[in-house]
Amino acid sequence: MSAGRVVLGLAGAALVGWGLVLLAGLSGQLLEIAAWLAGGIVVHDALLAPLVLLLGALAARRVPSWLRPPLVRLLVVLGPLTLVAVPVLGRFGARADNPTLLDRPYLAGWLVVAALAVLGTALDAARRRRAVAGPVPPPTP
Amino acid sequence: MSGSAVGERRLRGVAGRLEALLPRPQDFPSPLRGPRTAARVGGWLGAAFLVCFATGLYSHLLQHPVAWLPLPTRPARLYQVTQGLHVASGTAAVPLLLVKLWSVFPRLFVRPPRAPRRLLGHLLERVSVAVLVGSCVVQLATGLANSAQWYPWGFDFVRTHFALGAVAAGSVLVHVAVKLPLVRAALEQRVEDRPERAGAPSRRSLLRMTWLSAGVAVLATTAAGVPGLRRVAVLAVRSGAGPQGVPVNRSAVAAAVTDLAADPGWRLLVRGPAGSTRLSREDLLAMRQRTAVLPIACVEGWSASGTWGGVAVRDVVALVGGTPQDDVTVRSLQRRGAYRESTLPAAWVARDDSLLALTLGGEPLHPDHGYPCRLIAPARSGVLQTKWLGEVEVVRA
Repeated sequence: MSAGRVVLGLAGAALVGWGLVLLAGLSGQLLEIAAWLAGGIVVHDALLAPLVLLLGALAARRVPSWLRPPLVRLLVVLGPLTLVAVPVLGRFGARADNPTLLDRPYLAGWLVVAALAVLGTALDAARRRRAVAGPVPPPTP
Repeated sequence: MSGSAVGERRLRGVAGRLEALLPRPQDFPSPLRGPRTAARVGGWLGAAFLVCFATGLYSHLLQHPVAWLPLPTRPARLYQVTQGLHVASGTAAVPLLLVKLWSVFPRLFVRPPRAPRRLLGHLLERVSVAVLVGSCVVQLATGLANSAQWYPWGFDFVRTHFALGAVAAGSVLVHVAVKLPLVRAALEQRVEDRPERAGAPSRRSLLRMTWLSAGVAVLATTAAGVPGLRRVAVLAVRSGAGPQGVPVNRSAVAAAVTDLAADPGWRLLVRGPAGSTRLSREDLLAMRQRTAVLPIACVEGWSASGTWGGVAVRDVVALVGGTPQDDVTVRSLQRRGAYRESTLPAAWVARDDSLLALTLGGEPLHPDHGYPCRLIAPARSGVLQTKWLGEVEVVRA
């Protein structure tokens, strides 16, 4: 193992150790923090990842091959964006005394982005479909 | 045969059947998974985490200064940029992390080796990856929720986010150290431009859509802070509108200071080595007035610039024997809250644009912006720009 990797690994371990020392100072909250850490893994490994696998399996059976790459792109762009938007779409932190917080029409905004993404997907799909069909044969006299 | 042996055999039978239900790494058909994708997406993800960790550390140091590390007091927009980067890099990390995890997901189903020594290494790697994934997911989730002032948890957000930030950053370094030879080898292999089979995107195309996803997420949420791009940020936590053109983090109602702040008998208590004095708003307005264009740059990533008018902190503390070599602590009228007081280090006290502000945009401060008097100083986090001041104290370093 190269010296660089050893140094990098030790620096990382030291940083983790420091973080754990900081965490240890949060006695009384550790159980909930641990539950969030485990929950983060479970939500990805047991929920999100199988859902994507399921979508993939469905697409492989039901969707023509020219449509699949555009759908993958739609999922890769719109999926994470939707997850990122959960706190604003739900407006969970909104407060009556502070109208400057969460003051955009988030659902409308999300719909606009989604519509643009679907439009892009449709255009891409149409192009691919034409490519699959091959050039249109010349009309016979 | 004894009863316990039968029980053990049954248990093994059940475990075996369960194990047979789980997929194996080779059951995942997509050729797009694996090191070639993981190394490239992981590289950008690592860069995003590095920016996120560095800017987060800076934000922490601003709020909890250490004596041996002086921080820059200029440019005035410094914190606006660093904290904008903090939230933007965290947001970009969401699609990057999801694609990265997708690319290595089959590894979750690698069966543990039977040889005890190899088993130990396997378990160590498993634990380190679990810490890595858990801390990264929680950091991104809690950071995004905090930027929308949503706290669906009972733990102390600031301290937990800081501690887990160190855990996540350290885990990334360990992971890179372990995987470096694999990463190097993967980066030497070229990225295919053509799909390996019909109906799948090419690897190049998958990488491009990942970068696109990160870009779209950043634009839609955090571009509000970039001039000219505000309208694109349809998912930003703030439109940027607010009283006197500046959004509000904590309102006067939420801080329970409405009556105290509107009281005409309000006086600012100023204490220092040469004694103490009480100043009314009129007293403060009679002193030398200065104006400064400074941003309110919130930890949540949004920022808005305003033209503030008022008295320089150094001029006020000079009345009670304070000098630009002293720190100054300001306290709010609010009775509770983690940010009811803040300390302005001497480096800031020395600056003419560190103000006890009385006006915003030429008008008296709106109650939600800290009327009758608030602190505003360059290159500082919004939560340190204490509002509704009741007391200013010179702290000799």
